[in-house]
Amino acid sequence: MTLNLEIISPQNIFYSQEVELVILPGIEGDFGVLKNHMPLLTYLRLGIIYVYKQKKLMNSFLVNGGIVEVLDNKCTLLTEDILESKDFKVQSDSNIEKLKLKLTKNLHYK
Amino acid sequence: MPSLKDLRNRISSVKSTKKITSAMKMVAAAKLKRAQDNAERSRPYAQKMSEIVNSLVRNKGEKEFKYGEKKNSKPKNVLLVVCSADRGLCGGFNTSIIKYAKKLSEKLKKEGKITNYIFLGKKAYFSLKRSYEKSILDFFSDIANPSVKFELAGMVRDKILELFLNGSIDECHLIYTKFQSAISQSVNSLQLLPLSKKNQEDTKEDKSSISYDFEPDEEVILNEIIPRNVAIQIHTALLENLASEHGSRMTAMDNATRNANDMIDDLTLFYNRSRQALITKELIEIISGAEAV
Repeated sequence: MTLNLEIISPQNIFYSQEVELVILPGIEGDFGVLKNHMPLLTYLRLGIIYVYKQKKLMNSFLVNGGIVEVLDNKCTLLTEDILESKDFKVQSDSNIEKLKLKLTKNLHYK
Repeated sequence: MPSLKDLRNRISSVKSTKKITSAMKMVAAAKLKRAQDNAERSRPYAQKMSEIVNSLVRNKGEKEFKYGEKKNSKPKNVLLVVCSADRGLCGGFNTSIIKYAKKLSEKLKKEGKITNYIFLGKKAYFSLKRSYEKSILDFFSDIANPSVKFELAGMVRDKILELFLNGSIDECHLIYTKFQSAISQSVNSLQLLPLSKKNQEDTKEDKSSISYDFEPDEEVILNEIIPRNVAIQIHTALLENLASEHGSRMTAMDNATRNANDMIDDLTLFYNRSRQALITKELIEIISGAEAV
C-alpha cells in the first residue's frame, strides 16, 4: 500500500500518482505525509510541495494556499494556484518582484 | 397571389437567414466543445470540495457555527442568485431559467419569506427587472466575455457572505442550468448557505464518523473552507451554465437551419409552379388570340 497524492485545481486534475512521502507547507508549519497517516484536514500557505518516491525527490510544486485532506492513504490537495517548480524560472531580480506581485495578485483569499 | 418578384425576395431573405443560423450553429458547436471541457474539468474540484464541507458539517452536528443555520429564528430573507446567459437566440435556455426562478420565488413567498435577487447575466435580469425591481441587490453582466473568470465568482461570493454575515439574508440559493449533453440541460437550484445537515439527507451517510485531525482547529478550517466552497460552486455553476447555453444555442440554430431549408424548398416549389402557371397562361392567351384571328 502506498500513499496516493492527488492535486486538483479548478482547471484540471493537476497531479495524481502513488508517492512515498509528500511534504506540504501547512499554515502552522511544514509537515510530511507518509502512508497510514491519520485523517487530517488543514490548509496551506504560500510555499513549496516536495514529492518523494523511493527516497528520491520526484517533483516539487509551488503552491499558493489550498485545502489538504488526508484520508485512507489518500492525500487530496485542492488549490487554485499551483505551478510545477521547473516551470518557475527566474531570470533576474526584477523578475522575482514581478512574479511575487503576480502570485499575490492571484491570491483570492487572505 | 404574391407576384414572382415577391417570391424571389422571400426566398433570398430565407436563404440569408439560413446562412446566419448555420454560421451561429457552427460557432456554438466550436464554443460548446471548449465550454464543455472546462465545465467537466472543474467538476472534480467542486465535488471534492463539497464532499469535505459536507463531512465537516455532519461532524459539526447540531452545534451552531458562523455559516451554519441560526437557531431560534426561522429563515426569512432568501437570496436567489440567478445565472442566465448574456445573449438570446439560444432556444428555451433563458426562458426555462426565468420560469424556474419565478416558480421558486412564488413558492418561497407562499412560505412567508422575502426574496432578494442577484443576477448573473443580462437575459434573466432584463426580463425579471420589472417584477422584482425593489429586491434586486446586484447584477453582473458579461460573465463569459471572453471566458468565465474565477474572480467573478470571488466577487459574487464576497457580496453573498457580506450580506449573510450582517444578517440581511438568512438563506442563499443558486439557480443555474446543469449541463448533461448538447441536447439535454436541466435547471437546478443549489443551497449555498446556510450549511445544514438537513439538506444533505440525500447524500451518502457512509462517511459520517470520520474524526479528522484539524490544524489549527475545526472552527478556523470551516471558516476558511466555506468561502472557498461558495466561490467554487458559483464558478462551476457559471461554467455549466455557459456550456448549456452553447449546447442550447447549437440545437436551436440547428433546428432553425433545418426549418429554413424546408421553407426554401416549399417556396421554391411554389415559385416554380407560379412561374409555370404564368407561362401556360400566356401561351393560352397567345393561342386563343391566334385562333380568334
